[in-house]
Amino acid sequence: MQEPPPGLAELVRAAQGGDQLAVGRLLDLITPYVRRLCGPIALDDGADATQEALIAVFRKLPQLRDPAALFGWVRAIAVREAVRHATRSARSQPAELGELPAPGDPQLAADIRDVLSRLSPEHRAVLLLRDLEGLDERETAALLAVAPGTVKSRLSRARLSFRKAWQQ
Amino acid sequence: MPQWPVADFDPVRRLHVIAATAPGSARIDEAVLDAPFDRVWSVAADLERTMPLWIPDVRTVALRTSGTTGAPLQARIHGHTRLRATFAIDLSPGWCLMQSRLVLGGMAAHPETDRTTRFAFLGGLRFPGARLLAPALRPFTGSPLARFAALLDQDIDQEIGQEGKADG
Repeated sequence: MQEPPPGLAELVRAAQGGDQLAVGRLLDLITPYVRRLCGPIALDDGADATQEALIAVFRKLPQLRDPAALFGWVRAIAVREAVRHATRSARSQPAELGELPAPGDPQLAADIRDVLSRLSPEHRAVLLLRDLEGLDERETAALLAVAPGTVKSRLSRARLSFRKAWQQ
Repeated sequence: MPQWPVADFDPVRRLHVIAATAPGSARIDEAVLDAPFDRVWSVAADLERTMPLWIPDVRTVALRTSGTTGAPLQARIHGHTRLRATFAIDLSPGWCLMQSRLVLGGMAAHPETDRTTRFAFLGGLRFPGARLLAPALRPFTGSPLARFAALLDQDIDQEIGQEGKADG
């Protein structure tokens, strides 16, 4: 997750006040992060998921009380929107779950996109939040509105699927 | 480090986010134009010369810089009817967003292929209740994309004509 840049609070307040140039600049600031969140979850539908996630973010912007919390707040909205979009998409191809390599496993570097495509959007989201965003089980469970045990089982089953995929 | 997929995104999608979330009433239209990006954007970004030729109710555009680094460009725009307003403008390749106290406008473009360009135009009103008035105000906010495409063809024809004279 990114550190808040200087002047962020003023920019958020201006955007909340209806200044559309401020909205444009805030879009510039958060779009790269939203693309990195939506890409691994929505894969080929990443551009549509990013657009929907950004629309959801800016519709809810008046609800953001602490501008310093912007990126964590954006992450929660974007991941949920990406899962929702990918689940809805006909191109979503959830496969049997197995095992994912642990962070740093050289298998993961080979072709993560191919391996992600074998997982359901929910499992991709767990993998992204735990391994790329560094959230713990409790935080991941809260963001995805599931029980911590579900996160644990999804992650271990997803990692198993990864290993099986690579051993074929 | 594994290369996680990053979702695609472009200025036209960005303008859709603005249109979907702007307060008041905003309408966006887009088309794929039969000209390369550089050609399209050189015509679109020539605000003083071309805006009066294709945007509804724009008679004159006079640009002025604010003199402050990073501050938006400003333009005084007069219309054929009652429009008299100062707009703040963010302008960069493929992107133009402009707002006055009551009006929001925007353009976005990105290359579709080497020879074609996706181009979008946004027109909107920034005051409460604008949605109810939108049909009556369509002459101010309607889509002028057909006129822009014709202007583009005309500019290309003129250039070809000038090149022909120079060659002769």
